[in-house]
Amino acid sequence: MSIFEYNGSAVVAMVGKNCFAIASDRRLGVNLQTIATDFQRIYKIHDKLYIGLSGLATDAQTLYQRLVFRHKLYQLREERDMKPETFASLVSALLYEKRFGPYFCQPVIAGLDDDDVPFICTMDCLGAKELAKDFVVSGTASESLYGVCESMYKPNMESEELFETISQALLSSVDRDCLSGWGGHVLLVTPTEVVERTLKGRMD
Amino acid sequence: MDLHLNAPYCMGTIVGVTYDDGVVLGADSRMTIGMLVANDSVSDKITQLTDKVYICRSGPAAVLEFVSDYVRNILDQQTIQFGQPATVKATANLVRLFSYKNTNAIQMGQMGMIVGGWDKYEGGQIFAVAQGGTILKLPYAIDGSGSSGIEGFLDRAWKEGMSKDKAEKLVVKAVSLAIASDAASGGAVRTVTINSDGVRKNCYPPDSLPLCDDKRRRTKTKKTTTTRTERRIDAPKP
Repeated sequence: MSIFEYNGSAVVAMVGKNCFAIASDRRLGVNLQTIATDFQRIYKIHDKLYIGLSGLATDAQTLYQRLVFRHKLYQLREERDMKPETFASLVSALLYEKRFGPYFCQPVIAGLDDDDVPFICTMDCLGAKELAKDFVVSGTASESLYGVCESMYKPNMESEELFETISQALLSSVDRDCLSGWGGHVLLVTPTEVVERTLKGRMD
Repeated sequence: MDLHLNAPYCMGTIVGVTYDDGVVLGADSRMTIGMLVANDSVSDKITQLTDKVYICRSGPAAVLEFVSDYVRNILDQQTIQFGQPATVKATANLVRLFSYKNTNAIQMGQMGMIVGGWDKYEGGQIFAVAQGGTILKLPYAIDGSGSSGIEGFLDRAWKEGMSKDKAEKLVVKAVSLAIASDAASGGAVRTVTINSDGVRKNCYPPDSLPLCDDKRRRTKTKKTTTTRTERRIDAPKP
C-alpha cells in the first residue's frame, strides 16, 4: 500500500448557490487496523475559509499548524482575513517548497471570497492547483467520489439540497472503500452561518 | 509476496467454534479488490463440502473457490464408494493436502481455511488449515485479516460445553468486533450451525450487529450552528 493509503481518507467539497459544503470521513487507520472513528480532517482557517487535508494524518496536522501560523501572521500584518485564492496560492507554495521530500497530503480548500462567491480548489501533494466550478475530491476514495459527484451534482443548489447531495455522495463512495468511512463530517457554509453536522454511516 | 492486486480477495474474518453438540462457523461478507470493496453484503465465505462439513475461506477468492469445488468432487466420489458421508477429519485432510502440495504454485498471498462439521464418530470438530498446509484440530479457530484483533477476546470468551445459542452469539460478537476494527472485514455476519440434527444457516445484516452503532471511540457529536455577524476590519485609510 502506498504512503497515501496508510491512514485512509476521503474529502469532498461542492459549490452551491452562494454557499459551499465541505465533507470528510471520520476514520483514522493504520493500514487495515482502525484506530479512531472521530478523526477530524477539515480545519477552519477563518470564518469563511476551510481546508480539508487528506492523506497522511501526521502531515495533515503539521501542515495545518504551519498554515494557521502563516495566516495569523497575515492577519496581524494586513489586519484582515486572507482571501481563498490567496490562501490557495500560499498552500501551493508551501507544498512546493518540499518538492523533493513532500508532505503526503492532498488539500481541498473551500471558501467564500469578499463578495460571498464560493471558491473551491484542490491540489496534489506537490502543490499543483486544480480550480473547479462544481466539486473537488481527494483521498483514498477519490475515484468513487469523482463518479458519484459527477452524477449527483447540479449547479446552483440551495444549501439544504447541497447538504443532502454531498452527504449521499460521501457515504456512497466511502462504502466502497475499505480505508475510509465510519460516518462523515459535513460543514455547510453560507454568507450568514456555518452548520456543522455529523453523518451516521456504515460502521465497518 | 506477489499479490495480484486486481484479483478479488475474501480476506475478512472467519471463526469456527465447537459447542456441546456440534460446531458453529461464522464469517463476515466482504470481498475486496485491492482496497476497493467489490462485494459487501452478499458474498458467502462458508461453503458446503459435504452434507455436514463446511469450509470457511479466507484469502484469494479464485484459489479458494477452486479448492472447495475440487474437494467436493473427491468427497462425492468417496461417499459413493464408501456408502456413507465423509468424516470431518477426512475432509480437512483433503483440504490440507491441496494446500500443502500447491504452496509454491499459489503465489497469491495468505490463505487460511477453517473446516468444521459433524460426523457420527467424533461429533463436532473444527480443523484449522493454515498457510502452507498445517492442519490443527482445535476447539475454536479464527483466521483472516481481522482475526488478529479478536485472538484475545475468543481465548477469554470461549468456554467448554456451551449451548447452541450461546455459541452462535459468541461467533456473531467475535466477527462484529473484527468488523469494527479491521478495514478488510465488513458487511453481514453469516453463521452455519452444524450438529446431529442437521445444518442451520443464519445471516445477520449489518444494522443488527452489536457494534454497528459504535460509540466507544467517539467524542460527543452535536450539530452546531454558528451564526456569523459581520466582522470586517478595514485597512486604515491613507
